[in-house]
Amino acid sequence: MKSYRPQEIVVEPGVEESPIYRNVKRAFPDLPFLSSAETGVLTPPDFGAAKRRLFLQRHRGEFLKKCPGSDGQVCCNYFVINFASNCPMDCSYCYLQEYLGSNPALKVFTNVGDLIAEAGEMLEKHRKFFFRIGTGEITDSLALDPYIGFSAEVIPFFAEQPNALLELKTKSDCVDGLLGIDPKERVVVSWSMNPQRVVDADEHDTASLDERIAAAKRCQAAGYKLGFHFDPMVEYDGWEQDYRNMVERLFAAVDFRRVAWISMGVLRTTPALKRAMRSRFPSSRLPTGEQILCPDGKLRYFQPLRVSMYRKMLAWIRAAAPTTFVYLCMESREVWEQVFGFIPACEKELGSRMTESVAL
Amino acid sequence: MDQEIRSYCRSKGFHLHTEARWLGYNEADRSALLEMIREVRPGENHFKDLLDWLDEIALRDGTPIATLLQKELSGVVTDPRLGRNDKLKRLKEELRRLRFPRLAGIEDEIHRRIRNLKLPRGISINVPPGLEGGGVGVKIEATSQEHLRRLAADASRAIDSDEMKQIFTMLDSGTAGT
Repeated sequence: MKSYRPQEIVVEPGVEESPIYRNVKRAFPDLPFLSSAETGVLTPPDFGAAKRRLFLQRHRGEFLKKCPGSDGQVCCNYFVINFASNCPMDCSYCYLQEYLGSNPALKVFTNVGDLIAEAGEMLEKHRKFFFRIGTGEITDSLALDPYIGFSAEVIPFFAEQPNALLELKTKSDCVDGLLGIDPKERVVVSWSMNPQRVVDADEHDTASLDERIAAAKRCQAAGYKLGFHFDPMVEYDGWEQDYRNMVERLFAAVDFRRVAWISMGVLRTTPALKRAMRSRFPSSRLPTGEQILCPDGKLRYFQPLRVSMYRKMLAWIRAAAPTTFVYLCMESREVWEQVFGFIPACEKELGSRMTESVAL
Repeated sequence: MDQEIRSYCRSKGFHLHTEARWLGYNEADRSALLEMIREVRPGENHFKDLLDWLDEIALRDGTPIATLLQKELSGVVTDPRLGRNDKLKRLKEELRRLRFPRLAGIEDEIHRRIRNLKLPRGISINVPPGLEGGGVGVKIEATSQEHLRRLAADASRAIDSDEMKQIFTMLDSGTAGT
């Protein structure tokens, strides 16, 4: 995987005592560290250029939020912690191109102590509820970890929580910082998976498929539960062979009995995201699939096509990982029924099933 | 030619982005788009929709936009029997067919099978746009109790037919059963 190297670091005054700042300083000793107060450095308006200027600053709002899901779709009752905003990698289909289009700065929030305090307060207050919490909503959970050391700050905290499971979701192989920490069954490291052909064409600056599988294997050996997200699934000539091979190779490398969950989701865009993709990645063929506008405003492959894709993928997964919990991400009740033959009664039911699948 | 393109865009009040997008194509594509515009005279939103689909087909199939317009779609654009609105409607239909060939094929096959049911007036069967939702809508409109009874019996026969079974199979998996 290509190492991340920004052109400069912009620092908010007052964050220099934070572990994140010290780690970044250690990782990039030769880069200019500019003070945002003195220089008034602004975010480049271009989404790609914004990734090359790393901001270190305090987060002033709440860290912990309910995952917004998608209107009218079956939801898995997930919470997200935003410890950073934007991502050093550059997938052509990334929804952040639209979601962060007007605020694309690559920011890492340095007040991790506040994050831990906020999470601790909520978990303490609601001990009878179980929370699944992820950090990969508006950034990659691990791609910046070699430079910022975020995981080493939060994993020990979550490892001690009786009512939470932390999911670190990534397309990187940056797991070195995790391997020496005992997750005590409270941390799932998960990968977004695609065949190498999709990685090469549309997942720029991410780890290769082989690197992701190797990293997953290392995490499993270190005691972490794993998760895999076959999302976004992309349909193209030969996709069946590629996805089947990927599933078989993956489960030849890792023990499915220690896989917490697997999700499936087809490529989703919006009209605005397609415009951004056309502008930034004009040769990407992703927008040329037979995707139609669904009631939630997202474009997906038309329903019989994607149901067929899910059924094939589910059969390959079941053959390789027969007892692992599999769910759909951002799909309608009708599609759930067609693929699995049942619809979760509510988001709590789906969330509970996922929690049970980790056998805590 | 570029002056004519600019004039058309200004006369229709197109955004400068749209004008720049048109002028950004190669000469053959710009010219083919201009010929199409002269016949169909779409407004900006329709024009942008057409460009999106043409771009996507061109990228997918490696077929230049000029070729698409002059070979695949010229029959619609130059048909003297069609008025401007009908040309635009037909052009978008034909373009949708090229852009979504498998979806359009399934929709056509479902509609053919609905026609084969030979339902009487008063019963209509519809599938959702883009087949999203996976359901079939059945509407019965009767003018008397006896009429309703007859239509319900006709609907019941249709439900048990092989055509209806195939319609649901296609909605489920996109392919007809054997």
